[in-house]
Amino acid sequence: MHIRNFSIIAHIDHGKSTLSDRLLQSTNAVSARESREQFLDSMDLERERGITIKASAVTVFHVHKGEQYMLNFIDTPGHVDFSYEVSRALTACEGAVLVVDSTQGVEAQTVANAYLAVNNDLEIITCVNKIDLPAAQPDEVAMEIEQILGFPAEDCIPCSAKTGEGLPELIEAICERLPPPRAAKMPECRALIFDSHYDDYRGVIIYIRVFDGELKHGDKIRMMGTGRTYTVTELGKYTPKPVKVKSLGPGETGYLVAAIKTLQDVRVGDTITSDLRPASEPLPGYEEPMQMVFCDFFPSTSGDGRGSQFEDLREAMAKLALNDASFTYAPVHSEALGFGFRCGFLGLLHMDIIQERLEREGGVEVIQTAPTVTYQLLTTAGEELEIQNPAELPDPSIWKELREPIVRVEVIVPKEFVGDIMTLCLSRRGEFRAQLAISETRQMLTYEIPMAEIIYDFYDKLKSMTRGYATMDYEVIGYKTDRLVKVDIMINGDPLEALSFISHKDTADKRGRSLLIRLKKEIARHQFEIPLQAMIGGKIIARESIKSMRKNVTAKCYGGDISRKKKLLDKQKKGKKKMKSIGSVEIPQQAFMAVLDQGE
Amino acid sequence: MRSLYAHVPFCFHKCHYCDFYSFVDNADRQGPFTEALALELGALARWERDGGFDPGLDTLFVGGGTPTLLALEHWERLGEALHGAYAITPDTEFSVECNPETATPELMALLASIGVNRLSVGAQSFHPQHLKTLERWHDPDNVERALDLAREAGIRRVSLDLIYAIPGQTLAEWEADLARAIAIGTGHVSAYALTYEPNTAMTVRLKQGKFEATDEDLEATMFERTIEVLGAAGLERYEVSNFAASDPATGGPCRHNMAYWRQEQWHAAGPSASAHVGGQRWKNAPRLTDWMRSIHETDGGSPITDHEGVDPSRALAERIMTGLRLAEGLDASEMLTRAESLGRTAALEAAAHRAQEHGHLSFDDNRWRLTDTGLLFADGVSADLMSALD
Ligand SMILES: Nc1nc2c(ncn2[C@@H]2O[C@H](COP(=O)(O)OP(=O)(O)O)[C@@H](O)[C@H]2O)c(=O)[nH]1
Ligand code: SF4
Repeated sequence: MHIRNFSIIAHIDHGKSTLSDRLLQSTNAVSARESREQFLDSMDLERERGITIKASAVTVFHVHKGEQYMLNFIDTPGHVDFSYEVSRALTACEGAVLVVDSTQGVEAQTVANAYLAVNNDLEIITCVNKIDLPAAQPDEVAMEIEQILGFPAEDCIPCSAKTGEGLPELIEAICERLPPPRAAKMPECRALIFDSHYDDYRGVIIYIRVFDGELKHGDKIRMMGTGRTYTVTELGKYTPKPVKVKSLGPGETGYLVAAIKTLQDVRVGDTITSDLRPASEPLPGYEEPMQMVFCDFFPSTSGDGRGSQFEDLREAMAKLALNDASFTYAPVHSEALGFGFRCGFLGLLHMDIIQERLEREGGVEVIQTAPTVTYQLLTTAGEELEIQNPAELPDPSIWKELREPIVRVEVIVPKEFVGDIMTLCLSRRGEFRAQLAISETRQMLTYEIPMAEIIYDFYDKLKSMTRGYATMDYEVIGYKTDRLVKVDIMINGDPLEALSFISHKDTADKRGRSLLIRLKKEIARHQFEIPLQAMIGGKIIARESIKSMRKNVTAKCYGGDISRKKKLLDKQKKGKKKMKSIGSVEIPQQAFMAVLDQGE
Repeated sequence: MRSLYAHVPFCFHKCHYCDFYSFVDNADRQGPFTEALALELGALARWERDGGFDPGLDTLFVGGGTPTLLALEHWERLGEALHGAYAITPDTEFSVECNPETATPELMALLASIGVNRLSVGAQSFHPQHLKTLERWHDPDNVERALDLAREAGIRRVSLDLIYAIPGQTLAEWEADLARAIAIGTGHVSAYALTYEPNTAMTVRLKQGKFEATDEDLEATMFERTIEVLGAAGLERYEVSNFAASDPATGGPCRHNMAYWRQEQWHAAGPSASAHVGGQRWKNAPRLTDWMRSIHETDGGSPITDHEGVDPSRALAERIMTGLRLAEGLDASEMLTRAESLGRTAALEAAAHRAQEHGHLSFDDNRWRLTDTGLLFADGVSADLMSALD
C-alpha cells in the first residue's frame, strides 16, 4: 500500500473546500448527499464565516495504475490568525496542493501559504481552479505562479472543482508526484499531534501523524512535552466516517481517543511515544502558539462584587477553552469595571469568533475592551516586562525602552491602487520593504508596520480603498522600540483604564481628541455635565464635555393603550443593564471601542 | 360608572408623524363601519347589563382617525346607537376629536343634539410651513372657525392640540402658536413635543437624514416656556402635556383621559380601541376588515389582541407611571399598601426617597408629586420607582 499525506492550501474563496469535496467524491469516499455539505469544516460558526478553524484529517483509498493508494488529506485553517495551526498541519504532510482561482490570480494568502509549505520542505503541486468560468485565465495565472513562487507553469494543473474537469489529472499527480512518507528512523513510536478537538461524548480527540514505530489500541502512551500519560481507548481514521483501526504504522495519519478531559492537556505539536518503550527524543519543532492580541471581557451588568455574572462568565470561558487551546484567559480586576478576564487570541478574527461564541453558546452578555497587542517594556532597573494592557504600564519614569510588535504585511493590489496603499501604510508608520510586479496589472507591496496600527480597521480600510481588490497577509517578525507614550482617559474625573492606549508621540494628541469626540457621541447625556479628558502623564492633551440632560419625559402617554408605553419603559430599563457604570456615568459597550479610532 | 372609547379610523390624508390606526378610506366604507360600530356598542351594553352594571357613562370619547369625517347620516346613526346602548346624560363628558377642515354648522348642531359637550380640535401649529413638515393638511385659519362653530352650537368646552419641537421651528414661533391658542380662547390645551414613533414617515425621513431632530436643549426650553405661558393665561398644567382653565363649564381637565391615568375602567369600540375592565387590558384588532367581519359573524364581538390578564405588579407599575405625570400626583400610602402584597413596600419607599433626595419628587399631604425639575425627568423617575417593584 502506498501512502500519500498532503494538504490543500489556498487563498480564501479560491475553492479549497469545494475541491476537497470533489476529490473525496472522485475517490468514492463520500456519497453525493454527504458531500453536499463541505464536511471538512465542522463547526457552525466557521461555516457561517466561510473559514475553517480546526484542521482535521480524512483518509480515502484509491487505485492508481493497479496499485492501492491510501490518501490522507489534512485540512488546514484558511486564515492568517491560525498560521501556527497551518504550519503544524503541514508538518504532518509530505506534499501540498496549492490552489489558485484562475479568475483571480495569486493573492496574499496564496503567497503566505506557499512560503509556509516550502519552509516545511513539502513537494508542491500547483493547480488553477474554476476553469469552467468564462473569466478564467488559466495560462496567465499559471505564469503568475511561476513568476512569483517559482513553480513551473507547465506543471500547473487546470481544473474545475465544480465540474470535475482536471480532477483525474490532479489525483494522478498526487499519487505520482508527491513523495511517500519517509521511512521510520527508529523502532520506538513517535507520532506528531497536529490537531485536536473536543467532542462532547468522547472527550478530546487528537489527530496524529505517526512517523516512527507503531501505535496500537490499548497502548500506554506518553506525551513527551507535557509528560502526561494515557491509555489509548480508540484509534481510527475518518473516511470521512470514523472507522476504528487496531493500529497506525509509520507514515499514517488518524485520530486517537484516550480519556483526555480538556484541550488544555494537549499541545498541538507535541510528540506521542510509548510509555513503556519511549523514544529518546521528540520530533522536532514544538512551539507554543503565540497570543498576539489581548482584550478584557467583563460581565455586562453592573455590580461590584464577584457576583453570579462573573461566575457565569468564568464557566463560559472554561467551556470555550475546552475546545480551543489557543485561547487563554486569566482573571483581572479593574477599578472601574469590576472583575473580568484578560483573554489572549492568535489574532483579531480569532477574537471575534470567541466573543461571538461567548454570547451565543455561553449565553453571557459581555463588555469587551478594545484589543491591544503585547508590548515589551525594558525598565531602568533592567527588568523586561510583557505588557498586555496599557493600564499595566508602570510610571514612565522607570521606562528605559518600550517596544512594540512589528508585522511584515504583504499586500497584493491592482496597479492603480498602489499609491493609495502606500499612503495608508505610511500613515500607519509603515516602512516600505519591497514592491514586486505580479503581472501586467498587479503589484505586491511589502511593508513592516507596527501591529498596533493594523489591529483594527487596517484591513477594512484596505478593502474599501481598493474596492475590495486588495488582499493581505501578515506575520509577526519581532519587536522594535519607538517614541511611544501612554494616553489616559478621565471620565467625570475618574480614570477609566480600559480606555488607556499606547500611541506614537506624534499622533497622541490627535488620537486623544478623536477618542473624546467619539466618547461624546457614544455616552448619552446624564443629569449632570460630564467632563472628558485625555492626558499623558498627568498633563491634559485634550478635553471635551457632555452636556447635562435637559429632559427625559415622554410627551404623549397614550391613555388607553398604555401597555405600549410600558413596553417602552421596560426597554429602557433593559438597555441600562447592558451598560457599565463608572462612578455615576453609564457607559455603553460601543464606547470601549472608541479607543480604536485612529483619528484619521 | 364607566368610560367608553370609540374609534373611527378614517382620515382624508395620513399625517407623517401619526401612528394611530387611521387611513384614507378609498372604498367608501363609512356606512358599513357605522353599522358595525352600532352592533358592537349594542353587544357591549348587553354584556354590561348581564353583569348587572349601571348603564350610565361617566365619560365618552370618540376619537380617531378623524371622527368628524363621518357624514351627517352616519353621525345620526352613531348617536342613536350610543343612546340605545348607554344612559348618556348632560353629566356625561362626551368628547369628539375634530379636524378643523371638517367643521360645519350642521355637523356641530348634530353633535350638540346627541349630547357632545366637548370638542378637541387638532391645530398642531399655526405656521403653514410647519404643518407642511408634519404633512398635516388643514388651513390654520380654520381652527378658530371650528371653535366658533362649536361654541355657537352650544359645545362650550373646546380644546386645542398643539405640537412643538417640529424640525426647523424656533422658540419664537412656538410662543406665537401658544399666544394664538390663548387668543382664540380655548379652555384646554394639549401641547406635545413631536415624538418620532417607529414606523411613521417622519421617523423614516429622520433616519434618512432628510432633516435634523430639534436639539434637546431647545426642546426642553420650549417645554418650560409652554408651562409658563399657558399658566400665565390661566391654563394650568394638570398632566405633563395637558393644560386646563379652571372654569368647568368651558375648561377643566379632560375627565376621560383622567380616567385612563387614574386607572379606572373603560370599554372600547371600533378597530384598535383599547379597553381596561376588571384589571384586564385588551385591544380590538387594528384591522377594519377583520374587525367588521367578526362583528357580523359574532353579533357584535370584536377580535382582540394584546390581552393582559390581572397582574397586580403590572397594574401598580402602570398606575405609578401615569399617576406621576399628573399634577395631583399619587397617594403615597395607597401605593405602598398595594406594594405590600408584592413584598416591595420597602423597595418602593426607598426609591421614592432617592427621587426626593435628587429633588425630583415632593412629598406633601401624603402625596408624591413630581417637582418642577422632576417633571423634566419624569421617565427616569417612573422607571426607578417601577424597578423597585421587580
Ligand atoms: N464556477 C466555479 N466555482 C467554484 C469552483 N470551485 C469553487 N467554486 C466556488 O467558489 C466559492 C469559494 O469556494 P470554497 O471552496 O468555499 O473556497 P475556500 O474558501 O477556498 O474553501 C464557492 O462559492 C464555490 O462554489 C469551480 O471550480 N468553479
Ligand atoms: S388626522 Fe390625526 S389620526 Fe389622522 S393621520 Fe393625522 S394625526 Fe393621524
